[in-house]
Amino acid sequence: MSKSLMYPVSSSYGMSWFSYDINKYTNLKTVAIPMAIFALSLLIVGMTWASTGLPVKPGIDFKGGTAVTLSTTDNEDAIRAYFAGFPLEPITKDVSSRLYLLKFTAMSADQNQQLVEKINARYPDANVDYIDSTFGATLQGQALIALLFSFIGMALVVFIAFRTFVPSFAVVSCAFIDMVGTAAGMTLVGIPLTLPTTAALLMLIGYSVDSDILLTMRVLKRQGKLEDKLAGAFHTGIIMTSTTLAAVLSIWVVSALGQIEILRDMAAVLLIGLLLDIMNTWITNASILKWYVEGKVS
Amino acid sequence: MAKPRKQKEAEKKERETGKRPEPVRKEGLRELLKDWQVLLLVILVACSLIAIYPHFENGKLTTANQFGLDLQGGSWLQMSFDSVVAGFTSDRPIGNLTESLAKRLDAEVSLVGPEQLEIRKAVNRTDLGQAFAAEGATLTTYERGVSRSTGEDIKRILEQKINTLGTKDARVNLLTPVGTNIVRYVRVELAGVDINTAKSIVGRQGLFEIRIKTTENETAHVLYGNAITSVGNPQQDPTKMSWGVPFTLSEQGAADFRAAANRYGAVNDPKAHPVSMILDNVTVFSAPLDPTLAKELLTQDVQRLSASTGSGTTGMTQAQTLEIHLRAGALPVAVQVANFGQVSAPLGEYFKFMCLIAGLLAILTVGVVIYYRYREPSIVLPMMATNLSEVIILLGIARFIQQLDLASIAAIIAVVGTGIDQLVVITDEVLHEGRVPSPALYTKRLARALDIILVAAGTVVFAMLPLALMDLSTLRGFAIITILGVLVGVGITRPAYGKIIMYVLSK
Repeated sequence: MSKSLMYPVSSSYGMSWFSYDINKYTNLKTVAIPMAIFALSLLIVGMTWASTGLPVKPGIDFKGGTAVTLSTTDNEDAIRAYFAGFPLEPITKDVSSRLYLLKFTAMSADQNQQLVEKINARYPDANVDYIDSTFGATLQGQALIALLFSFIGMALVVFIAFRTFVPSFAVVSCAFIDMVGTAAGMTLVGIPLTLPTTAALLMLIGYSVDSDILLTMRVLKRQGKLEDKLAGAFHTGIIMTSTTLAAVLSIWVVSALGQIEILRDMAAVLLIGLLLDIMNTWITNASILKWYVEGKVS
Repeated sequence: MAKPRKQKEAEKKERETGKRPEPVRKEGLRELLKDWQVLLLVILVACSLIAIYPHFENGKLTTANQFGLDLQGGSWLQMSFDSVVAGFTSDRPIGNLTESLAKRLDAEVSLVGPEQLEIRKAVNRTDLGQAFAAEGATLTTYERGVSRSTGEDIKRILEQKINTLGTKDARVNLLTPVGTNIVRYVRVELAGVDINTAKSIVGRQGLFEIRIKTTENETAHVLYGNAITSVGNPQQDPTKMSWGVPFTLSEQGAADFRAAANRYGAVNDPKAHPVSMILDNVTVFSAPLDPTLAKELLTQDVQRLSASTGSGTTGMTQAQTLEIHLRAGALPVAVQVANFGQVSAPLGEYFKFMCLIAGLLAILTVGVVIYYRYREPSIVLPMMATNLSEVIILLGIARFIQQLDLASIAAIIAVVGTGIDQLVVITDEVLHEGRVPSPALYTKRLARALDIILVAAGTVVFAMLPLALMDLSTLRGFAIITILGVLVGVGITRPAYGKIIMYVLSK
């Protein structure tokens, strides 16, 4: 965490390292940055979609295949040699080089049975996770439906809570921009779409609107100067996102060091999403709100 | 939100006189505990601590929480069915239609609901539609899976197999999509067993034998389980009201059965020569031949038989058990493995440890960020305590409804993150410009903060709802824990924090 988060209780806004200059951030020129990123994200997601049929490259959960985690003193070459003849993808390992993560693409039932026997013969303490490709396709369909319904549910809550079109629409579109950006980020960093990362995306739908809701509530339902309200909302909102980032970052560090794939990928997705959300909330959403409120006043 | 009149008056007074009424007086700790929200929080934390019962066992910290296989070690097997549940319309009599469909499709077909048939074969929609059309019926719905009652049979059979091996800590779950009555998958979870063992347990067939009593102490072999070609669902005899399990013998089996009944005299004196069924050396059924059947066996082979178990609920349960025994461990429908896996106990233990580290680190870093912001232990400590109590209550509730796996632990850690967010909203809202407000203004601001929190919570709950309802394996736990965390936060801990922080600030 940088020093920029310092905001002693009694200080007035703007007296710290990192101040939120409303006029600087909420104008057309600045909004161009998140919009450019959004356009780029759309392009990346579109290309991935065209080639895989999904917004993010699917992992074993949706494609089918076998994932194996084993703790051994064997080196990578020895492991590779032992599993020669099986469709093994590149191996990843943890920092201590004791815990290896192996992935096999989908294979026939017989070959799969042989694989499991071979694993248990040499590495009885291995973790194995096999997903049949038909089952994977079913899961994939359901996951996409879950994402869609999740988003609709969130949008409904937002529209019911604010009951005015422009502010609600701003919150919902920021969440959408966050999601598309996160999907693109996953593709860039190489995180596949799996059940856990789908869950992380769903969680992001809920998380990313937190600060937007705070912002909108403060601006619409409080009295005072717009500038003060925006600054006040930022003052609170940025610390909210920082605490979440701190929690997620800790999970990411521990799970990346310890090779806990599920937690590592989930944390990484949330990190990407939350960082994008800071930009989209305080530039994109704030600009739309400012435009809306000023338009109403004049 | 409508403001209570009292509050409005206080605000008015504040504006008119230009000075604030006396700030909140220092209330005693006892006063604070009298507040029902704070009291509820304390009680729930205490109850949850009792429920999770943290204690040391063999020098290791353990709790009463149920852990998922990925943290405990064991294996799971999820299977889909070679079976279809189809809706149809037809003018033909049902019995007649099912029979001819069964013949045409060469599969067991049975009526499982009004205008709903279960076809125990993996037929695709087009083929099934054509078969229905050829038999003068129209296919209206098509779902892969089995009916609830067949699903329950499969569950019972699997549980039985697991029990005979004395494996503890086993779970058999039927996965049924919300809003349907069709079972899609069956999932077997066995703790402390590797996947090869689990597969052999699930696939194991018992040795089934039919014997007949010859003399006072002796019985003779009649046939083995391989002579039984099909076993039907338990049926109730409409006239005698007694329950029975129909089963069919192969031609050879029927001939053997008749030969034995004749050789040992069961056809003439059924009572003295009862027929018994034995599964893995345990007698599971024993009864004399029905007089009518005995007479028929004098002259011809009988392939279709029924084992009667008596009337009433006892008869019905016995029939259900007998059906399983007759199948000797074979499932009524063929299954396909959709997903299996194993987690070794040492790796599970390692994951558990790492989760604990990640959780502690998360709480710690969140604490550091909060301290960096407020620089005031009297704000930071209650915040962290509230956050911690959210986690404890969540673990307490989870103890009863949800096993903890990696995904649900991720959800708990996420609750730490969001929980603190909301406490920040409350604190900032209340502490506007760093001043401690009057009680009236305080209540107003707290309500405003809770408004924001409520909307934010609503979005998380609705975002997670699809996952909690759908059966996307482990993600259900993740969604349930997240939703619970939000509800506990909004309903209990956050309002209580509002009261606590007021007490702290007014000191």
